[in-house]
Amino acid sequence: MGNNNRSFAYDGLFRQNVVLAGGFVTAPVIVACTTMERSLVLVISFFMITYLSILTCKFIPKKIAYMFRIVLYTIVAAAYFIPTALLLNILFPDTTNSVLLYIEITIVNSLLLAKTESRFYLIPYRKMITDALVYIAGYALAAFAVGFIRELLAYGTLFGFKICTAIMPAARSTFFGFVLVGLLAAACRAGSGYRKKDSRLAVFKFKKER
Amino acid sequence: MAEVFARMVSLIMIAVFTQNAVFDRALDANVAIYASRKTSHIMGFAICITVMTTLASAAAYPFDLMLLSSKYGYLFMPLIYTGIVSVLYLLGLFILWRVFPKVFYKVKKYAHLAVFNCAVFGALFLNYNYGKGFAGYVGYGFGTGAGFFLACFLLNVAHERLNSEKIPKVFRGYPITLVFIGIISLALNVLVGYTAEF
Repeated sequence: MGNNNRSFAYDGLFRQNVVLAGGFVTAPVIVACTTMERSLVLVISFFMITYLSILTCKFIPKKIAYMFRIVLYTIVAAAYFIPTALLLNILFPDTTNSVLLYIEITIVNSLLLAKTESRFYLIPYRKMITDALVYIAGYALAAFAVGFIRELLAYGTLFGFKICTAIMPAARSTFFGFVLVGLLAAACRAGSGYRKKDSRLAVFKFKKER
Repeated sequence: MAEVFARMVSLIMIAVFTQNAVFDRALDANVAIYASRKTSHIMGFAICITVMTTLASAAAYPFDLMLLSSKYGYLFMPLIYTGIVSVLYLLGLFILWRVFPKVFYKVKKYAHLAVFNCAVFGALFLNYNYGKGFAGYVGYGFGTGAGFFLACFLLNVAHERLNSEKIPKVFRGYPITLVFIGIISLALNVLVGYTAEF
């Protein structure tokens, strides 16, 4: 039971990662995460818009039909976009402008519009707070991994600091983003599969010892 | 008149090929992957998205003219676009409910997927940069939907092979589909000699 709970709690990191496993939120990572700074901007915007919307929309009564609730979810997310964009424009003005489209479309991401109904709003509020946070952490993990690889390959830098020579300028293009996220998705699937086997083996050993 | 028509057609071509919502900007790649699994889904999704992007683009035009020229106007665009799309979505469902009740009960669970997605909202946000004029807005909106149909069709053609036993298990389905989209994206970029600046 304890193992099941732990596995459930970390679902959002690998097994149900919103970018690498579920494919719920792919566009910003595939196209816009070409540097670590862009990844950081996208993670902050995703956290502020999606996480706060998930927490807020929990209070929208279930009595309202889903076709109307989804409109309200989007309106709440669009309202959170305003402070998010203002804050990011102060912190990272140039980067925010260059990825603004991908911040704007965060208001209709599937984590908010679909996962809320199938997972977050089916569990108690306190548990939901941490569960949603783990999903956001999963998004951050994927965004930073993609940003790290692409910045290093395309520019030879990390957060703007020179590390090596740029060996693959094409790494900043959209097609490379698709291929890289596809490869990382396969790696994530393989990793979470092996972890499952490991945990099953651990349970088996534990039972045998008893 | 001929000039307006020519601009509209050229923007449709741009939105379908050079700036395809799925292949060039990855907008709604997940919905395209989902819709391409069944041939019967493709037409429904494509029609819904095309109607929505075209009508919403036309409706958004006066708001863009009024707000986007001001310094902080862009902050309110997501709210305005949400309002426009929501009104069209509820109106569409209402018309379906009154005129084709059977279709309404069939699509009401999935209609939101084809409406509240990155392709529809992405087209609205991009219109200001590329649309240029009412005809341009309508052309770009229509082209985005048509481009989504093209992407779904290409994914549907490859769906069986990408999910076959020949593909290693860890790559089967979602990961190999992304790699496949990447290869088509590369082919389109090479074909038109264009890539979005990011």
